Amino acid sequence: MNIATLSPREIEIVSIKNQFDNVPIGCMVVTLEGAICYINREAARLLGYDGPADLENASVRDIEAILNCGFYEARNVIMTGETYRKTEHKCTNCRGQFKVLNIFCNPFRDADGKIIGILSLLQDVSESTLKKQDLEEAIYELSIMSQVSEALSSSAELDEIFKVVLTGVTSSQGLGFNRAFLFLIDNNNENLVGQLAVGPTSPEEAGRIWTQLESKRMTLREMLDAGHYNSGNGDSALTSLIKGWKIPLSDQNIFGTAVLTGQAMLTLRSESLGAQSRSILARLGVENIALAPIISKGRRLGLIVADNQITGREISPSLVELLQAFACQTAVAIERSRLYDSQVERAEELARINRQLAESQEQIIRVEKMSVIGELTSSIAHELRNPLTVIGGFANLLLTTGASDANNEYLNIILSETKRAESVLHQVLDFSKASRAENRAIGFHQLVHNCCNIVAARLKRGQPQPALVGDNPGLTVWGNPDQLQHAIVQFLNMIIDGSTENNAINLDISANDSTVFLTVSVTFEKNDRKRLTRMLEQGFNNPSGTQRLSILVAGETIRYHGGNFGLESSEDGLPKIRVELPLYKGSEE
Amino acid sequence: MKSILIIDDEAHILQLYKEVFRREGCQVSIAPDIESALAQLEKEPCDLVILDIELDEDNGLNFLKYLKSARPNMPVILNSAYSIYKSDFHSWAADAYIVKTSDLEPLKLKVKELLDVDSKYPQKPAAK
Repeated sequence: MNIATLSPREIEIVSIKNQFDNVPIGCMVVTLEGAICYINREAARLLGYDGPADLENASVRDIEAILNCGFYEARNVIMTGETYRKTEHKCTNCRGQFKVLNIFCNPFRDADGKIIGILSLLQDVSESTLKKQDLEEAIYELSIMSQVSEALSSSAELDEIFKVVLTGVTSSQGLGFNRAFLFLIDNNNENLVGQLAVGPTSPEEAGRIWTQLESKRMTLREMLDAGHYNSGNGDSALTSLIKGWKIPLSDQNIFGTAVLTGQAMLTLRSESLGAQSRSILARLGVENIALAPIISKGRRLGLIVADNQITGREISPSLVELLQAFACQTAVAIERSRLYDSQVERAEELARINRQLAESQEQIIRVEKMSVIGELTSSIAHELRNPLTVIGGFANLLLTTGASDANNEYLNIILSETKRAESVLHQVLDFSKASRAENRAIGFHQLVHNCCNIVAARLKRGQPQPALVGDNPGLTVWGNPDQLQHAIVQFLNMIIDGSTENNAINLDISANDSTVFLTVSVTFEKNDRKRLTRMLEQGFNNPSGTQRLSILVAGETIRYHGGNFGLESSEDGLPKIRVELPLYKGSEE
Repeated sequence: MKSILIIDDEAHILQLYKEVFRREGCQVSIAPDIESALAQLEKEPCDLVILDIELDEDNGLNFLKYLKSARPNMPVILNSAYSIYKSDFHSWAADAYIVKTSDLEPLKLKVKELLDVDSKYPQKPAAK
């Protein structure tokens, strides 16, 4: 070559040729018109040719057809003096090889600096890019599996666990099965019962959903939330196929056999199976199926079933092993969920017991206070009895000695008031006597029955015995039985004192979840109503004399026992006495 | 004349009962405690004892036990402000249990009843 006869562009090309002929970077020079002036061996290889000779008469149009990298766009950039770059450009060369190239285009200038062509460098990054993609894919797969694992170890909801497991089994980044089913053993240990299924019901649905899933990398949570297979009612059509389906837990079918033997299984030929198994596979519409029993600490819990019904892809034994690993994790998650549920249940039970205990303690304190008051009043009452005996006794003595009329009157007053004071003392001592009884659970029906017996002697001649309605022997209250009996007797006495032989007394016991009710009513004749109403209203609202103390002590007794009392109106117009006491939830002692 | 010993730690009760039973025609001795009562009985036996239960430092029921072993034929009336001792079986040895009240009629009647039943409670031998 005589360099003196070469044009400046040819001289430049010779220079480039010397530099790039043998380097592992593709290089080519094209004119602004699109003719290829120079292409090195590496560039020809990347484009799928044996060597530069194969491209002697090729134009940039031929190369663009292969690379599709936008040479015409590059030309416009180059003409402005800028560099054109395209990184990780994916293309398929004329040998059908997939290539990933970094493309750099620079202006090719003559000695005067005028742009006369394009110098293109092609860097092959196919291998590193594919490795990077593989790595990203592996990271994504691991991420999904890790999310499945994390979800299984943190979820306490059984439904959530089932969804996570089956999504992991069917996700292409998980085990990649087309469909997955979950069955649990029923409480009687007799059947496997279908719970949940994930997967498409037809190739069309599969195509639609899998294309969506391919297009974006979703997290496990996003997959669960998306509920791709769910129908309008929340369950997928596939779940509807198996939900509630009972398969006998016996060795007469492959599902039962897998659970009973505790071995993961893979069915390959349905014709070799028994009738039950064939029927099961027919319902699922599949011949090859993988089965992994869910077993925790030797306890059989259920079965995971997976198949490739849509794609017909073969299920490898290693995939079955992975399915079994999933089943093991599922077993642990189910056990933990059940344990959690039982703990929650126990915690709620403990909270309930604590509340009950607090209520009982409060009631015990109230009742104990009542007991102390009883002791105190007893001491005071006895101390008063001696002076009253002395006062009344001497007054009596003076009366019998023949005092003057005026003094007799005063002495009678002293005697009358002494007797009144003694009557009050009698009431107080009755109450304090009652206070000496131990607090305990009391059968309320028996308590009221005892009260009826006590007041029987006070009834008017011919007056009917009090009638007790509501035979609820199980109703118990907590407290001092004598005090409560004393209180109820005071109410009954008040009624008896104000009634005639024509008035029958009815006692009705009822209860709700927390309270026992005693309602005392009186039967009456029409002309009796006014008198009885006045008697009851006065007894409760404005009692007189010793009755005041009786009702006061009775009322305080009921209140100290956590209850309440009062009059309630009734349809017949005559008020009823109503006594309420807290229902004791423990057993009667 | 029948003699009565009244044992009570309340001075006014003693005074009242002494006067009441004196008027009833009895010879009445009084004692504020067990020790005095024993001394009285040593000095002169009586026909009937009215005994309080809660004495200052003594327990009337213990003294009742002693009286019923030492003088089984002598009637004893327990007379207390408390009614609860009625259910104490130690009190069952007494011939009567009367709760204190300003109305002394029940006590007087019981004393009369016990002193008049000669066949059950023979007269003490006449003092020599």
